[in-house]
Amino acid sequence: MPRGSRGDSRADTVVAIGCVLLALTLLILPDGPRDAVAGAIRGNLLGPLAAMQERAARARSTLVLNDSLRVVADSVVARSQRLEAVTAENDRLRELLGLGRALRWGYVPAEALVGRRLGEEHTLLLSAGAVQGVSPLSAVVTAEGLVGMVQQVDPTTSVAITWPHPDFRVSAVSLDGSSFGIVSAHGGVGADRYLLELHGVPYRAPLRAGSPIVSSGLGGVYPRGLLIGTVVRELRRGTSWARSYLVRPTVRPADVTAVMILSPERSAEGVESVWEPAAQEMLRRVRAAADSVAAAADRARSDSAPPDSAGTEPR
Amino acid sequence: MRLSRTLMATAILTTLVALHFTLRPLLDWRAGVDFLVIGMLIIAVRVRPGAAALVGFALGLLTDAMSPDAFGAAALAMTLVGFGASRLKAAFFADDLLLNAIFIFVGKAVFDLIYLLAEGRLGGLGLVAQLFLWTPLAALVTAIVGLAVMAVVRPALEQRRPR
Repeated sequence: MPRGSRGDSRADTVVAIGCVLLALTLLILPDGPRDAVAGAIRGNLLGPLAAMQERAARARSTLVLNDSLRVVADSVVARSQRLEAVTAENDRLRELLGLGRALRWGYVPAEALVGRRLGEEHTLLLSAGAVQGVSPLSAVVTAEGLVGMVQQVDPTTSVAITWPHPDFRVSAVSLDGSSFGIVSAHGGVGADRYLLELHGVPYRAPLRAGSPIVSSGLGGVYPRGLLIGTVVRELRRGTSWARSYLVRPTVRPADVTAVMILSPERSAEGVESVWEPAAQEMLRRVRAAADSVAAAADRARSDSAPPDSAGTEPR
Repeated sequence: MRLSRTLMATAILTTLVALHFTLRPLLDWRAGVDFLVIGMLIIAVRVRPGAAALVGFALGLLTDAMSPDAFGAAALAMTLVGFGASRLKAAFFADDLLLNAIFIFVGKAVFDLIYLLAEGRLGGLGLVAQLFLWTPLAALVTAIVGLAVMAVVRPALEQRRPR
């Protein structure tokens, strides 16, 4: 080994031993001086590094806190969504209780399960059957109005068709009894397929948009006065001797969870008084809307009229 | 080392020190990456053993200042690892990736061993778990990250030998 190299190596060893001894000295320092040295290093040399470390640690805790806060927020949202569904179901059940009080007798309450499979979209499986007194061709209703008709009856369950079913027909009449017709599923595409169609209405008896339509009681299945829906607009068809109207149903089958099945005796008795307040309220709203439209038209007409030149023109 | 390379080495070491005090607390892994050991080993193989010992001592003091309960333990461990790494650089100063990884792995493991023994805080089962479970894991993670760091910094620190 060359002499210079050996000298360098010795110097390296000396430096290393010095560092080791210094480190050992720091290790065995009493608490006071040790803290003073550490504090001096932290304060002078490591100030920025300590700040960076503290900020990184705070960022990490913020991230962790953010995750836990998100979990809390998600569970709160999930609970509130459940609460909305429970509240809506509670309202529906209250309405059904109100319907039961109004009907008084001749009905069977049942839970309804909407068919989801192909071919079952327009049927309801009801949790009441022959044992509970359900018979075929009974009207199925909710507090909002007509749902459909019982088609098959088993001992403890029954199957009902709902108004979108292609076989659904009900003889209908306007609330004032001036316009008669037959209501069936509209069978359109898109959003229109969730609407009904009132056809065969005589030309002499036009209907306004928003007019309530109720069952006429003809046919023996549906009692008179069952609320079906409200008129949306007239359907224009080329060659026809009668008017047709698009009707928005008051009941959405997808939302039906509980229903009442009316017995034939109850249907024969009539239920006009049960849905009449709701139908009258709809009619009142239609009239109010028509009045406000007429008033707005009058105002617009008077605003657009030329000003009276006699004495009103400024000099 | 020439001046440009010295400056480059200082910049790399500063970056690794910054990462040690920012990224490491952010990740907060039980077996975390030791950027100081990586930095110290990168420098140690490029300087004389005495300088490596000094760099190790300085980096150890940084660690110690942050946890004064074992003040001096990291300085002692880093000094010894730096000096040893610089002495062994002839054996490990190769382009073989696996050899470099082993070098960093062993460096981190030896550092942990000396540090744990010097600070004397852990004992019994805790010390065994730390030495045989967490230290190898931390050394492995440090070796993997160290390889990535070396791949990035090696071209900058490559020494051009004059003809």
